[in-house]
Amino acid sequence: MRLRRTKLYLPGNNPNMLLRGYLFKPDGVILDLEDAVSMSEKDAARILVREVLKQGEFGECEVTVRINGMDTAFWRKDIETVVPCGIDGIRVPKVESPKDMQILDEALSEIEEKAGIPVGKTLIFCLLETALGIWRAYDIATSSPRIAGICPGGEDLRADLKTDRSETGEELVGPRRIVVLAAHAAKVDALDTVYADVTDDEGLKRETQWIKQLGYQGKSVIHPNQIPIIHAVFAPTQKEIEQAKKIVAAAREAAKKGLGAVSVDGRMVDKPVVKRAEYTLQRAGLLEGGE
Amino acid sequence: MAVNAAGRNIPNNIPGYGDVLPFRGYTKRLPKGNRVGKKNRATFNTRTDKTLPNLKAAIKASGLQSGMTISFHHHLRNGDYVVNMVLDACYELGIKELVVFPTALFGVHKHLTKHIQKGVIKQIQGSVNGPIGQLASEGGMELPVVLRSHGGRPRAVMSGDVHIDVAFVAAPTADRYGNLTGAHGESACGSLGYAHTDADFAECVVAVTDNLVNYPALDIQIPQTQVDYVVEVDKIGDPSGIVSGTTRVTRDPMRLLIARYAARLIEASPYFKEGISFQTGAGGISLATAAYVREAMRERNIKGSFGLGGITSFFVDMLEEGLFEQILDVQSFDLAAVESISRNAKHVEISADWYANPWNAGCVVNMLDTVVLGATEVDRKFNANVNTEADGALLHGIGGHQDTASGAKLTIITTPLLRGRIPSVVDSVYTVTTPGEVVDAVVTEFGVAINPNRKDLIEAAKSDPEIPLVSIDDLVEKAEKLTGSMTPVEVEDRIIGVVEYRDGSVIDVVRQLKKK
Amino acid sequence: MKTAQAGTLESMDCLVTASEAEKGRGISITMEGASVARFGEAILKTAKETLREIGVKDIKLSIQDNGATDLVLRARVEAAALRLFGGDRR
Repeated sequence: MRLRRTKLYLPGNNPNMLLRGYLFKPDGVILDLEDAVSMSEKDAARILVREVLKQGEFGECEVTVRINGMDTAFWRKDIETVVPCGIDGIRVPKVESPKDMQILDEALSEIEEKAGIPVGKTLIFCLLETALGIWRAYDIATSSPRIAGICPGGEDLRADLKTDRSETGEELVGPRRIVVLAAHAAKVDALDTVYADVTDDEGLKRETQWIKQLGYQGKSVIHPNQIPIIHAVFAPTQKEIEQAKKIVAAAREAAKKGLGAVSVDGRMVDKPVVKRAEYTLQRAGLLEGGE
Repeated sequence: MAVNAAGRNIPNNIPGYGDVLPFRGYTKRLPKGNRVGKKNRATFNTRTDKTLPNLKAAIKASGLQSGMTISFHHHLRNGDYVVNMVLDACYELGIKELVVFPTALFGVHKHLTKHIQKGVIKQIQGSVNGPIGQLASEGGMELPVVLRSHGGRPRAVMSGDVHIDVAFVAAPTADRYGNLTGAHGESACGSLGYAHTDADFAECVVAVTDNLVNYPALDIQIPQTQVDYVVEVDKIGDPSGIVSGTTRVTRDPMRLLIARYAARLIEASPYFKEGISFQTGAGGISLATAAYVREAMRERNIKGSFGLGGITSFFVDMLEEGLFEQILDVQSFDLAAVESISRNAKHVEISADWYANPWNAGCVVNMLDTVVLGATEVDRKFNANVNTEADGALLHGIGGHQDTASGAKLTIITTPLLRGRIPSVVDSVYTVTTPGEVVDAVVTEFGVAINPNRKDLIEAAKSDPEIPLVSIDDLVEKAEKLTGSMTPVEVEDRIIGVVEYRDGSVIDVVRQLKKK
Repeated sequence: MKTAQAGTLESMDCLVTASEAEKGRGISITMEGASVARFGEAILKTAKETLREIGVKDIKLSIQDNGATDLVLRARVEAAALRLFGGDRR
């Protein structure tokens, strides 16, 4: 089970961050060809990102590229350039229609085939930045087997909702709830939007605690200093770790003995619970990889 | 020519310097004989006022002649006016071929290039930053620059290697009888730690102040018994260049990342316990490391014994919070440190001799648990370079690098692996300042390399999975992979810089750059 | 004379200015910046290689370097050439 607690945006025209972003050990990096790059620099950024993908290093990070929206002239060239480099996935802004995801899926398959990459390898992460996108979240999330996660927008979404940023974040409460529900109904990850104030560590911590409680798996990150704070929030408590260890040990015992049922403290424990325990140990850094 | 213990090939004699004692190892050279001393002098109650009307009068009274050696401290840093004023006055008096012996020079002293070119200055024995360093590197000085560490300088003076004819001691506050302090005045600089060597051993000591007070001055640091003349001038320096405001810990993510690794290494080491002592720099990665260590000390309820250095508000806060019993101050960097030194008995001024001289009954660095240092380069043998940059130009002084590294139980060098395209971890450093035998760890954003001669530290670091342990060879190769190979620096045979180790032996030399 | 630029003067980047050269003049490159003293030869080699790979034979390049590693230099040279010639690389 891939950890996606943090995904660090790396501006596509910034060599410094592109080359060293992974050193901050986010769970994933997003090489950004969209909002971080001005119109006049789209071509240069694409070439730079291509070179970084070909020769750069990313440690253990999941490598994704945020391409330009499918309503722009750039997206085809974006995927043609980056997908053959063998990335883990692409992040698509302003997704509103399941049909678009199907078109994208086919385009990706074509490119993968030509490049000798296993067809279906490149995942899709959808940014839902409009009311329509949020409303159709479940349909979008289920429109292609490549879709691995959906994310609510921030600033763009507020604009589409014809409202502004408030202290409490009231205006995004509803959209966040819809996205997390849709994500889990579709069995994909729910990944929250960025926390824009990079100097407000306390505010970031509070927001992360809240979205974790809602059921999100992680958050996008625009500054490396935010990473340890978010990881700390997602880190399981000692009690959770002890319990998870018990469950995983019991599951291993049962498997060894060839027993179908797993029992912990005298109670039956079914597969989803075991999986969640494994995920807990993973977050605690006590378990490798997972499925 | 002979290869010394740092692997460098040094001639037996260097023109303009003399016979070379090759570096043999960090504890190998021992002193012979006694310390030198000033001529005796008697002063009776017929003399109650040492003030002279101006610098020229003081220079005349001091007996300064062409060819003599004059010295300065660098506590006024980049706000200093005194060095330039004194050299200007010497020029006007027709004095030339001086050997200038500062504890360090800064950008503000680029004014001295004029005096070098006019022949007023024959040699500089001390650091040469910026334009003077460039001039020296290109062969513009008659005699080689001689670099010594903070501890090596007092050693050289007291063993007679360097005889100071006249010391000009910039004094933020002075009284008419020559009691001096850096704690008060508009140009206050806090500790006068580096000036003690000059006051102790110079044949004639001239205090230069812009704040003459009634006798006796408060919070005396250098006593009247060592001072011969006092001159009052308008301003001895610019306060904004002398001390900075509050020292802030950096928020730069790359620096914080490296600092985090360094802090974790300290926390995993056997020295992270009650009574720990440490020294960090005034800013950047080094200070950020102190910030993380402080966090850990608070969490684990660990109280330190002493903080050492270059003192900033950060260490002052730690003292006031009770995280240190005392702070030992050889140089005060900011207003908070200046303010604290005269107010808090646990904030103690120490001299360079006390701080770092290997030839006395014991200097503070010997008691230091850990120090976090920087470097322009380190190499496979853990040798460190703080003197030259990638273009081979002599730019920076040694500071306390050799001293703290030799003394501390855990010496950590933090550095980004790359500065732009220039690698900081290389096969062999361009200049050896500090030998690898005293460097325990190199911490970069790409990983932490521990000296193989510290198996105890390697084991300790393994216990913390957050410390990304790598070998030094990994770092060298990683840097090379990222940067490609560098074309070598082209040099002439002529030696323009001599890097002494703190014991007076020669650890490396810097040669003149070939003209392009 | 037509020129095009790519890159920035930010840390680890370089600013490449490409201008047209007469057919047959070949490749001429000038450079300045922090790394040139030790990496001048390597920069020259990479720039020429990149131009060869994209099929550019005649061009004038001026490189202002602020610590760009090889792959960044490659990307900026390619982008500058691309912008200079539009889609047409010859």
